[in-house]
Amino acid sequence: MAGVAHIPQPDAASRLLAAQAERARQRRRTRLFLLAPGLGIIGIFGLFPLSIALVYSFLEPGTYGGVEWTFSYDAYVQFLFERDIFDDTLTFNSAYLQIFGRSFGLAITTMIGTLILGFPVAYFIAARPQEQRNFWLFAITLPFWTNLLIRTYSMLLIVRDEGFVNLTLMNIGLISEPIEMLYTDGAVLAGLVYSYLPFMILPIYASLEKFDFSLLEAGHDLYATRTQVFRHIIIPITRPGIAAGCVLVLIPALGAYITPELLGGGKKLMIGNLIALQFGSGRNWPFGAAAALILMAVVLIALLVSLRAGASKEGGHG
Amino acid sequence: MIDVKNVTKRFGEGQAAVTALEDVSLTIPEGSFFTLLGPSGCGKTTLLRLIAGFELPSEGEIALDGESIGHLAPNNRPVNTVFQNYALFPHMSVARNVGFGLEMLKRPKAEIDSTITEMLDLVQLGEFATRRVDQLSGGQQQRVALARALAPRPKVLLLDEPLSALDLKLRKGMQSELKRLQHETGITFVFVTHDQGEALAMSDRIAVMSAGSVRQVGTPEEIYTAPKSRFVADFIGDTNIVNATLLGFDGDAAKIRFGEGKPLTIHTASTLLEPGPVHVALRPETIRVVEESAETALLRGEVVDSTYFGAGSQMLVRLEDGVSVHVQVSTPRPVGSRVGLECDTSMLHVLED
Repeated sequence: MAGVAHIPQPDAASRLLAAQAERARQRRRTRLFLLAPGLGIIGIFGLFPLSIALVYSFLEPGTYGGVEWTFSYDAYVQFLFERDIFDDTLTFNSAYLQIFGRSFGLAITTMIGTLILGFPVAYFIAARPQEQRNFWLFAITLPFWTNLLIRTYSMLLIVRDEGFVNLTLMNIGLISEPIEMLYTDGAVLAGLVYSYLPFMILPIYASLEKFDFSLLEAGHDLYATRTQVFRHIIIPITRPGIAAGCVLVLIPALGAYITPELLGGGKKLMIGNLIALQFGSGRNWPFGAAAALILMAVVLIALLVSLRAGASKEGGHG
Repeated sequence: MIDVKNVTKRFGEGQAAVTALEDVSLTIPEGSFFTLLGPSGCGKTTLLRLIAGFELPSEGEIALDGESIGHLAPNNRPVNTVFQNYALFPHMSVARNVGFGLEMLKRPKAEIDSTITEMLDLVQLGEFATRRVDQLSGGQQQRVALARALAPRPKVLLLDEPLSALDLKLRKGMQSELKRLQHETGITFVFVTHDQGEALAMSDRIAVMSAGSVRQVGTPEEIYTAPKSRFVADFIGDTNIVNATLLGFDGDAAKIRFGEGKPLTIHTASTLLEPGPVHVALRPETIRVVEESAETALLRGEVVDSTYFGAGSQMLVRLEDGVSVHVQVSTPRPVGSRVGLECDTSMLHVLED
C-alpha cells in the first residue's frame, strides 16, 4: 500500500491504543467466560435460596408448615419479644438470644480448641522434610473419607456409659461407675473440635509451608527467647493462615447441627437445631428463615469488623 | 578474642554419625577480620554455627574473652550473625528489623531509635527506614542484614558467605564496604567463604579448612606464599606442585634436590618430614625462564602450550618426570622448545603432604 508511508505518527498511536483497548475487552470477555460456571452455581444454589429465605422471613407461617403470603415482620419481632396471646402486648424474651449466645460460646471455644491443637500439628508437618509432608497431609484429610454422621455416631459409641472409654477405665479400676460423658457440653465440644480440626490445620500449614525457618535462628541470634520468637516472628507471619483457619472453623461450628444433636442429645438448643426445628416440627418457616438470616448478618458483621481490625494492624507495621 | 579448644562436632548417632569437625583448635584475635576458608563440606559453616550457638559442640570448648560460651543459647551470646540468605523479617519495616535485637534486649526506646538511624547511616540506607524489606534489592537487603547484626554492638560478628548471592560487581563493592565497617566498628568479624580471592582480599587472618579440620592459619601473605600442605597450596591461587627429594635438615632449613640436580637449602616451617620423596610448591609468577643449559636452572622441560592473556602469557612446561608447570612470562618461548626454569629458593616450599 502506497499510503502506509504517509500515515502520520498520531494516527499510528491511536491505532495502537485502539488495538490495546480491543485486547483489554477480549481479556475481560475471557475472564467473564471463565467465571460464568462458578457464578452460575453460586447464583442458583446460593443467592436464589437465600432470596427465598429472605422473602419467607417476611411472611406468616402456615398452619401445617409452609407460608401464608401475607407480609409480616413478626418473625423478627418474635426473635426478641414474646407476644401475649390475649392482648398482643410484647414482653422481652431472651430465650432465643440465649441460644445464639450459647452457640457463639460453643463455636468460639471450638475455634480456640482447634487452634491450640491444630497449630502444633501444622508446625510439625511444615517442619518435616518435603517428601514426608504429603504423607502427613494425607493423614490429616483421612477423616473426610467417612461421612461426618458416621464419624459422629462412632464418637457416641466411644463416650457413652457402656462405651470404650468408660469400660476401659472401669476395667483397670480407675473408676467404679461410668462417668457421664454423652449428652454433655463437653461431648459436643469434643465432637466439634474433632470434626473441624482439619479446617484449622490446613490453612495454618499453608502459611507455614513457605515459612523460612532460618528466621527462627535470626530471632534467637538477636536475643529473642523462644517465647519471643514465637510471638514476634512465627505468629505475625502466619497470621493470615490463623485467621483463615479461625473463620473456616467458627462459621460452620456456629451452624453445627449433627454434632449437638447426637452428642448433646438435643438437650440444649443450638442455632442450627433451632432453625431445623422451625422448618420441622415447629412449623414456623418464617421464624426459621429469620433466625438463619440473623445468624448470617451477625457473622458477616463480625467478619467485617475483624477484617478491618486486621487490616489496620497490618498498616501499623508498614 | 575467641578460643576454640579441641572442638569436635558430630551429627547423628552411633554408626550413622557424621563428623563435621574433628578436634579443631583456633584462636581468633580481638578486633580482627578473620576468615574461615575452605571448599563446601569442610566444616567452616559448622564452626560458625557453633560460635553462634545454633549447634552445640559434641566435645571441646568455645570461649569468648576467657568466658566459656560453648553451651549457651544463641540469645545469651554477645555474638550476631549475617545469614547467607539474609533472613530478614518479612513482616517488619527496615527500621524494625534493625532495631529488633535492641528491642529484645529491652533497651530504652530513644536508644533503639538513635541506634537504628546510626546503623542505617553506616550502611548508607538512611532514607529506607520505613520501607518493607521485600521492596529492597539484594544488595540493599544485604546491608540491612549487616545493620541489623551490628546494631546490638556484638563482640563478634559472624558472616556466613554473605556475598555469595550478589553479582560480581556488587560483591567487589561489598568487600571494601565490609572492610570499612570492620575498621570503623572495631568488632571482630568472622567471615566464612569458599572464595579464596575474597579471603585474600579482605582478611587479617585466614584459617584454611578441609574435611573437618584446620589445615593452616596465617595472614593472607603467609597462606599464599608459604602454604604448608599440598591442599592449601592447591586451594589458594594458581600453584605448581613438583616432585623433589628431601635429603635432610640443617637446623630449620631443609636440604632438597630436584631430580639429579644439585642440593638446595630452603626454609621450611615443618621439620616433621622424613627424608625421601616430597612435594614442593612454587607459584607461577615467581618462576623465571632461562636457557636449558643455564647453570641457575633448577628444573628443565619442554614448552607444550602457551596462552596469551593480555598482561602477559602463561606457558605450560612439561618437566622431565612428566609433571606440568605453569609459568607466567611477558614473552613466551615457542611451543616445542626446551627451557630451563629458575626461581629464588626462598619461594620454594616443602609441602607436608
